[in-house]
Amino acid sequence: MAMTAVARETVFALRRQIAKIEGTLPERLQAPAAAPLDAGASADPTPGGDLTIIRRGLAAALPDAFLPIGVERLDAALGGGLPKAALTEIHGLETRDAGAVAGFALSLVSLILNQAQGLPVLWIGTSEIFHEAGFPYARGLHAAFGIEPGQLLFSEAPRLVDALWVAEEAARMTALAAVILEIRGNPQRLDLTATRRLHARAQGAGRPVFLLRQAAEPEPTAAPVRLIAASAPAVPRATVAGPLAGSIGHPAFTISIGKSRTALPGQFILEWNPDERVFDERRGEEERAENPVPVVSLSGGRKDPAAASGEILAFPTLGSSVAISPTARDQPPPGQRAAHLSPRRAG
Amino acid sequence: MISHRQGNAQRISALDERAEALHLKRDMGIADARAMHPSIDIVEADPEADRRLLEGLADWCDRYTPLVALDSIDGLFLDVTGCTHLFGGERAMLDEILSRFLHQGFDVRAGLAGTPGAAWAAARFCGDRIVLSGEEEALLAPLPLAALRIAPETRASLESVGLRTAGAVMAAARAPLARRFGALLLQRLDQALGRLDEAISPRLPVAPLSVERHLAEPVTLTEEIERLVGMLATTLKTDLERRGEGARTLALLLFRVDGAVSRIALGTSRPMREPLLIRKLFHERLAALEQHIDAGYGFDLVRLSVLAVAAFDTQQTDLTGEAADDGADIALFADRIRARLGESAVLQPVPVESHLPERAVAIVPFSEAPRRTTPPKKPDRMPAPMTIFPPERPIRLFRAPEPIDVPATEMPEGPPLHFRWRRALYRVTRAEGPERIAAEWWREAPGDPAASTRDYFRIEDADGRRYWLYRQGLYGSASQIPPRWFMHGVFA
Repeated sequence: MAMTAVARETVFALRRQIAKIEGTLPERLQAPAAAPLDAGASADPTPGGDLTIIRRGLAAALPDAFLPIGVERLDAALGGGLPKAALTEIHGLETRDAGAVAGFALSLVSLILNQAQGLPVLWIGTSEIFHEAGFPYARGLHAAFGIEPGQLLFSEAPRLVDALWVAEEAARMTALAAVILEIRGNPQRLDLTATRRLHARAQGAGRPVFLLRQAAEPEPTAAPVRLIAASAPAVPRATVAGPLAGSIGHPAFTISIGKSRTALPGQFILEWNPDERVFDERRGEEERAENPVPVVSLSGGRKDPAAASGEILAFPTLGSSVAISPTARDQPPPGQRAAHLSPRRAG
Repeated sequence: MISHRQGNAQRISALDERAEALHLKRDMGIADARAMHPSIDIVEADPEADRRLLEGLADWCDRYTPLVALDSIDGLFLDVTGCTHLFGGERAMLDEILSRFLHQGFDVRAGLAGTPGAAWAAARFCGDRIVLSGEEEALLAPLPLAALRIAPETRASLESVGLRTAGAVMAAARAPLARRFGALLLQRLDQALGRLDEAISPRLPVAPLSVERHLAEPVTLTEEIERLVGMLATTLKTDLERRGEGARTLALLLFRVDGAVSRIALGTSRPMREPLLIRKLFHERLAALEQHIDAGYGFDLVRLSVLAVAAFDTQQTDLTGEAADDGADIALFADRIRARLGESAVLQPVPVESHLPERAVAIVPFSEAPRRTTPPKKPDRMPAPMTIFPPERPIRLFRAPEPIDVPATEMPEGPPLHFRWRRALYRVTRAEGPERIAAEWWREAPGDPAASTRDYFRIEDADGRRYWLYRQGLYGSASQIPPRWFMHGVFA
């Protein structure tokens, strides 16, 4: 960051002034100390300094304006979690990601329902998306996210404009725990204005609106946060005797931050625990070891043609990389063999 | 002139005055008529259109009485009992009906009597006559037998024995008549004379409550109609309050000056009596129907009817006058959505006892369950599942399972290694299953391919997406139908 501290102070002061003129209070967030520095976007680079993030347009005074996702790194990156009273976009790059996108959104809804129990959830979709990606299945939703069938309401609109109208009407309802609007592609009508209307209503009602966009390109919208969801291979089921090979365990999602006022783009692999109804983060390295997805077994006892022309040393030093290479093991150099046999002959 | 086909010949079924002046008659063959007057204009009869027109007229007559019944193909019964004073007496009402029909271009005969039979005879054989109660016998006596609404065969056989007027039949001994010509003859006679009650069968159910407003100046604007709805609903509210009920189905009838009637009905999720809310619902409905309602020259009568009512339990409000009830919001929201987008715009899932995944959840239009007076008890913990390992179910289910191409597998009983779905190739990296779901033999017809056993597999592809596939049928089973593979759902 080339900006000097003085310049940044000026910018912040100006932002506060603008916010004052606009009538919205700027929000001062204290990012958790554990947050890695690269996660906080406009974080103060001076070590030990306060991380000051200015957000406008959110209900600043409310302490529970955010829905903590429960994964420290992601929450820190988003500055406390997903805004509760806002429009949140969740993108899927392809229609076949619909399961992951819907699954991630529903797990967020499930987190919300932990607090707002008993309130219904409305899932609005166009006929197109319900046909292409499948209609929500209440039994599965109950099993995976604990959403009772009685809490679910669906609205299927033949046209996008109707779906948007229903969503706008629903977004202002405080009697709904959350509204999910699912749309496919990048329709012309879902522009900045339409999303701004949804966002404003969500802010007014204090309820989240999740805009699921399947097979869509990111484009400017009024949503403060955009997440891109994709599937991630699941870990095997855990049993008493350790992971059960070849089984498919808890659902996992790859979540990328596509847009956020506070966060830099980042990628997280989250795993949804349907029993506890919490997210766990899967860190790259440690999970790779127990990730069973096909690691091709070494072809032992056979000549590996691809590596046959590798370097062959007459007397490899102990602990060198060649000693553990399968090629070297399969094809011991003549000198080594002689050395191996010689003691017997001597004895 | 209208022709219709009877037997093998085209015959005249109806004709206008000018044709009558040419000495043409009904039931005359078209060929004969053409031979007499080659220039006549003949139109094929369209009974369906006649029927629609008659129903339209019946709708319009709804403005006089809710009890309107169709009478064969060319008549209407209006039960105006208790309605005449609204129009200034029987004569005034009859005159108004006749003059309005005349202005709409119809040539109408009407009769008003104490019994449907007498009114029928008066309309068809006397014209514009009001028969006072007790005069039915005098009215009928000189009329031909056709005035008794009896079948032509009965009429012919009565004439063959010399009974040519209704009076003659009345004078004859009843027992031999009944024996010889059937009970229907005497029944019709008694009905016409008021000795037997005859009920007309109204086309539409009679609304328990309805309020209307006649307008001196017809309205055309939707906003005005909405305002009228608000006013009518206010009137309705007092009635509903007196009865302790709320409206479940409402209908708005707009009578156009030229006789067309628009009928706009909507249902509510819970009994409703608040005029503002009713107006709001009709606002949505009218907005949705904007293109379908043709105001034309305007509506001169607006009626709001309550078609179905339900008990309305009043809610206790707190001191600020607000009753905290989230359900009411949802119900109103659902009503508004449905008023605009149709009955199936808001759906809710209902679990059904079935092992077949697509039958296990029924998607029904939203309707409110009987309201709980106490908030639902929060379970301390999750309800125990029926089994230790509840079956895994996808979060999205395709409405119709989509066929997928599976190349011949090495393990016929196992999951596929590759499959092609929607023209894309998927590589299966992991699979769980099979979960065998047998068909419901008590529902499916035997031999139906859809009735075969399904083996479900939960699979994960190379990109980590999880799907639910099934194989229908078994390899090497007795039936010769090879198993087919389907994609049925998507997991999170």
